[in-house]
Amino acid sequence: MKIAARLLWLAAAIFALTAPLFLERGPLNDLWNLAFAVILASAWNLLGGFAGQVSLGYSAFIGIGAYTTVLLSLKDWNPFVTLPLGALIAAIFSVIIGLPAFRLRGPYFTIATIGVAEAIRVTASTVEFTGGSSGLRMPADTFDFNANYFAMIGLAVVTVVIAAWVKRSAFGRALAAIRQDIEAAEAVGVNSTRFKLAAHALSAALVAIAGGLYAINFQYISPASVFDFRLSLSIVLMPIIGGVGTIAGPIFGALIVSTLQIKLLSIPALRDSFLFVYGGLLIVVMLFEPQGFVGLGRRIGRLVHA
Amino acid sequence: MISVLLNTLLAAGLYATMAYGLAIIYGVMRIINLAHAGVMMLGAYAAYALFSRFGLDPFVGLVVVAPLFFVFGVLMYAAVGRRIAGAGATPSIESLLVLFGVWLVLQNFAYVVWTGDTQSILTGYTMKSIKVAGVRLGVPSVLVFLASVGSLIFLNVLLKRTYLGKAIRAVTQNRDAALLSGVNAGRISAIAFGLGSAFAGIAGAMLATLMAFTPDFGRSFLLKAFCIIVLGGMESVTGVALGALVLAALENGLAAYTSVPTSLQDAVSFALLFIALVAFPQGLPSLFARFERRAAIR
Amino acid sequence: MLEVRQLSKRFGGLLALSSVDFDVNEGDVFGIIGPNGAGKTTLFSCLVGALRPTAGQVRFRGERIDRLTNPAVVKRGIVRTHQIVRPFRAMSVAENVAVAAYFGAGRRRGADAERRVREILERTSLADVAQAPAGTLTIGQLKRLEIARALATEPRVICLDEVMGGLNPSEIVGAMALIRTIRDSGVTVLMIEHHVHAVVGVSNRILVLNFGEKIAEGTPRDVLRDPAVVAAYLGDATPALEED
Repeated sequence: MKIAARLLWLAAAIFALTAPLFLERGPLNDLWNLAFAVILASAWNLLGGFAGQVSLGYSAFIGIGAYTTVLLSLKDWNPFVTLPLGALIAAIFSVIIGLPAFRLRGPYFTIATIGVAEAIRVTASTVEFTGGSSGLRMPADTFDFNANYFAMIGLAVVTVVIAAWVKRSAFGRALAAIRQDIEAAEAVGVNSTRFKLAAHALSAALVAIAGGLYAINFQYISPASVFDFRLSLSIVLMPIIGGVGTIAGPIFGALIVSTLQIKLLSIPALRDSFLFVYGGLLIVVMLFEPQGFVGLGRRIGRLVHA
Repeated sequence: MISVLLNTLLAAGLYATMAYGLAIIYGVMRIINLAHAGVMMLGAYAAYALFSRFGLDPFVGLVVVAPLFFVFGVLMYAAVGRRIAGAGATPSIESLLVLFGVWLVLQNFAYVVWTGDTQSILTGYTMKSIKVAGVRLGVPSVLVFLASVGSLIFLNVLLKRTYLGKAIRAVTQNRDAALLSGVNAGRISAIAFGLGSAFAGIAGAMLATLMAFTPDFGRSFLLKAFCIIVLGGMESVTGVALGALVLAALENGLAAYTSVPTSLQDAVSFALLFIALVAFPQGLPSLFARFERRAAIR
Repeated sequence: MLEVRQLSKRFGGLLALSSVDFDVNEGDVFGIIGPNGAGKTTLFSCLVGALRPTAGQVRFRGERIDRLTNPAVVKRGIVRTHQIVRPFRAMSVAENVAVAAYFGAGRRRGADAERRVREILERTSLADVAQAPAGTLTIGQLKRLEIARALATEPRVICLDEVMGGLNPSEIVGAMALIRTIRDSGVTVLMIEHHVHAVVGVSNRILVLNFGEKIAEGTPRDVLRDPAVVAAYLGDATPALEED
């Protein structure tokens, strides 16, 4: 990566980490939301962008992370234990689902993931153990915004670094090969199932930790809030709009979608239009620039240089 | 027992209509139409609008809904479908996501026009029931079944007896060969989209007579429709009918013979979809075909 | 080294391979010829695990491999090229070869892998396009890339599927030379080819398939004289080929 770009990312990270010193709570909340979005988008991108397996069921992992933390916190477990545990459970679950699901190619896999996520949501709404559809509340005095904020920013940085490392590694090359031509990849020795499972598990773990942090911050979760299909949808939307398969793409996408959400919600007339906007963006991006904003940027760059 | 059988039959008819709209678009264009859920939802609202504005009975209104949605489907094809027709053997992710986007837009449209409040259609006969073979069946359910059967017979006739139908079947089975034989791919695709939307529209309109609905309501039915197509294979009307029957039987059987709560039934359908996708991606009919052939070799 | 016994593959109603038997010895250049649709590519697919045979066994160095997946077979040292090339178009030529170096039987990493990639690109005359995206290559270059990728997995057996298809006569001579160097480096070669002259020129043994069945196996000389082979495949071209 070029020096200028590297410095820019460093500056952004430093800004985010020192923000509580000079920003008000409102903007800090926005940054928190942005970090959350960046984690989800970048983590999803590991499987969806690098390996090309589009899952519309990632809300399942947010939910697993959130519920693990809440249920265990209610038993006085420490977040330093509940968060990683949530990640582990999510990773195991991703493998259990992945083993049969990854036998499916392309869109069939996507449909299977929708089915699984919905099944989980419905089950969580019904079963006693998860508090049913009324959800669960974190125990009192577990709320600490600053700590949570730093954790979220830290996780965002870690996720992006992991994504960058994966992309350049042999693992990342294998994923790219799988995305482009899975049979040719297998023909040169790439065990595609193993790599897909690995990418799935890694991203599931990261997303689950974010889910746990979300639960601690909001203090209350319900199947409708954490297992919502619309959440799965925005998770996919962000990297696609930003530029699927790149490092910067999910970050741009997260920025765009978060900003849009804030803007739309603040204008009463447009408050109900976010589906229009999301849907419209999805259509336009897929039809005209499947590489998203990063792709658009590259195209403009080529025009400028030519 | 009879009650379970009859309820299964009634449900299967509706499910088959719902699923066929999806199957025909996939068969001709190799696209998985996620907007199907949105079109079904609009069908429900269309029936509702016709009923509340003009007092038009929803079943009579099907005659209006079907052509209306056929046109809508053709327009959707012209706007979006044309650019995403799947060339390869597997449908593309791009087509999936574009149609997903369309679904979102349709949902928002419904929110804006009709708000997110739950709506329902209450006619004079909504609460009535009749007795068939000693079992009480709701009148709307029976009418839905009859309408479904009617539309499926229409479809069967269309596919088997008309040139258009032959062209559709040809493209479904072997696109290249069909094109070489002079079939106009664009026209057939547009018609397939139109037919698919028409079926989605009437399925939605029929659903509206059976339950309350919001703009969000297409999703679980979409998944059931997928389940059916995967189970039944996408190649034939009988395959889809078979898949519909299996799903309906499973749901009604569970409700009648086990204590699995209704809210978990959806989870069961999704689990079935998952299992079906993984265990027999070609659908049940191919499973039977495999048994036949093995017997023949011996 | 490679023993194939009663190998059969059925696709629904079509029997693509029917009880095919043959042996390949280490160091062979083993040609496979036959009319189109004879099942040659299917045979390769079954050998490397891309397709699961309906019946029969394949043994490689004593181990049964017919039930293994493609990647598993590659890790044991058998690799194939594709008749219709399948490069990773968005990656550079070097990256294409690198993937094979990482995940093939050689399991190389880091600088070691890079060195190996460079060597192979030299051998297959692709060094000057190493950084070019694979999608921009000519067909001749793409064919060499297929071979380069296969070689990067460090196989003991390489299965070349019609590598000479679409090449002009001088390119064919170059390809034959390349095959000889592959053989000389200790890799056993199986090759499917329609250019019978080329096959005869490099192979020491030939298998002839027709309609999924083996109709002849032996040295090029014996096979070309076999009346069944002449009838099924060679026809009137036979006299011209008896030049050795």
